[in-house]
Amino acid sequence: MMKKITPYLFLAPAIFFIGLFVIVPMVQVFSVSFLRYSFFGPNEFIGFENYRKLFHDPNFWWTLSNSLLYVLVTPVLMVVSLVFALSIRRSVKSAKLLRLSFFLPVITPVVVVGIMWKWMFAEESGIINYLLSFIGMEHIPWLTQYPVNMLSVMILTIWRGFGYYMMIILAGLALIPAEIEEAGVLDGATPFQQVIHILLPNLKPTLLFIFVVSSSSAIKLFTELYVLIPGVPMNNKTLVAYLYRLSFERFDFGYGSALAVIIFLVTSLFSYANFRMMEQRS
Amino acid sequence: MRILRTIVLALGVAAAVLPFVWLLSTSLKGAEELFAYPPVLIPSVIVWENYSGLWNAVPMASYFMNSLIVTILSVTGTVLFCSLAGFALARYRFKYQQLFLVMIIAAMMVPKEVIILPLFTIILKLGLADSLAGVILPFIVDAMGIFMMRQAFLSIPAEIEEAGVMDGASPFILWWKVMMPMTRPMMATLAIFTFIASWGDFLWPLVVLKSPEHFTLQVGLSYLIGTFVDNFRYVAAGGIISIIPVVIVFVFMQKYFERGLFSGSGK
Repeated sequence: MMKKITPYLFLAPAIFFIGLFVIVPMVQVFSVSFLRYSFFGPNEFIGFENYRKLFHDPNFWWTLSNSLLYVLVTPVLMVVSLVFALSIRRSVKSAKLLRLSFFLPVITPVVVVGIMWKWMFAEESGIINYLLSFIGMEHIPWLTQYPVNMLSVMILTIWRGFGYYMMIILAGLALIPAEIEEAGVLDGATPFQQVIHILLPNLKPTLLFIFVVSSSSAIKLFTELYVLIPGVPMNNKTLVAYLYRLSFERFDFGYGSALAVIIFLVTSLFSYANFRMMEQRS
Repeated sequence: MRILRTIVLALGVAAAVLPFVWLLSTSLKGAEELFAYPPVLIPSVIVWENYSGLWNAVPMASYFMNSLIVTILSVTGTVLFCSLAGFALARYRFKYQQLFLVMIIAAMMVPKEVIILPLFTIILKLGLADSLAGVILPFIVDAMGIFMMRQAFLSIPAEIEEAGVMDGASPFILWWKVMMPMTRPMMATLAIFTFIASWGDFLWPLVVLKSPEHFTLQVGLSYLIGTFVDNFRYVAAGGIISIIPVVIVFVFMQKYFERGLFSGSGK
């Protein structure tokens, strides 16, 4: 008897917390999305009405397109991290301090990242506009003007992620057997040809992993936006930012939940792909 | 080729590190150099008073302690509960096992941004709003962490478990004394990832906490920007203070962080 319940006892705390704090809220989001539900009126079942309204809501399409635009950080991150990984893979292995410096942006709290970049992007006193003035550029309104401030958030995201993805690519590179590369050298391949014909095909699983992880966090982008340009009007907001407005400012829970379900569906495509890749690897 | 590589490497390090140098320099500047144009990188006089000034102006010690409590409890809880669950999933065959696995995978796919409102209403109903427990509990188990620990337990040879069973160890002792020590590297990986996430978490504590004496460092810092708009040096000092613990822990655990990246299980 005792033996039979043992595994359930081991699982109990984890299942309890996941059930209460992940599954229950998610079920609530799904069910509330079919209700007219807010602080201000009676709750009633209205079927797919919230979804229908959402698909006719210009703000939804606007924030969706902004969120998809933020996914553009993914190809940039992939190229930047690849270039860095390829350039430093021979030198970085031994130097712990060097690797630490690449990880610094990754481990720094996002609030601090926001503070730093806000100052650097400042229009009058910021160091970026100061440096740009040397090549004769006018002051750029990095934080105040759309769509430039979207670009600023993207730069912040790329800066925060490149060290992380670079290390993942380095790990992928380390898995490529030395013989394959040496064969390429013997065949007289130029460094560029080696990268295109030998390294890139072998890096495919790694790059796919980065594509999935980076894109799904780009869809969920909010905190970076919040710390860098808080309180700016709708025009550069993302899906999650719109969700916050509906939930915490308008208290329109039914409508907000419909939006939450849509965000969940989009990101779960990515996380499902990610999970399948993890399984394949292990 | 070599020169090109060195240049790229130097550019990368500069891009990663220079913003921190700028932050550090701001935190040590005097008022007159703060907005100097052209900007001053190395302050002519080091003003340590920015740090003591900040420490006296806001309850930094209390923010710091709160962050420490949240982080330590989150890390301990996550590692412990994920280890327990991972052990059961890896080492036992039982009814509804697949169902539990599916539930954990489903949980992995739920972004916390999406459930934050219902989560907050649950915390309200439990009477945990504006408390550190309300910050800690919802994220004390990490579905991905359960998978990582399950993986670690799966890789332990059966003979070791059998030896433990022969010695008459109870299941709990078997887990605690025999099996868990074998998964130390994975525990360290999970711990460092949880530490970084928990120390830097901003959105959830911002939603949960209302009174300043419960603020974590990140929430306190974000309010600091509002109240001390005119004192960038204090804000910079606060930023530096909130980076230091995570850097120290990271330096000691770097190996395990990298191992986590390399197995593709980094969060």
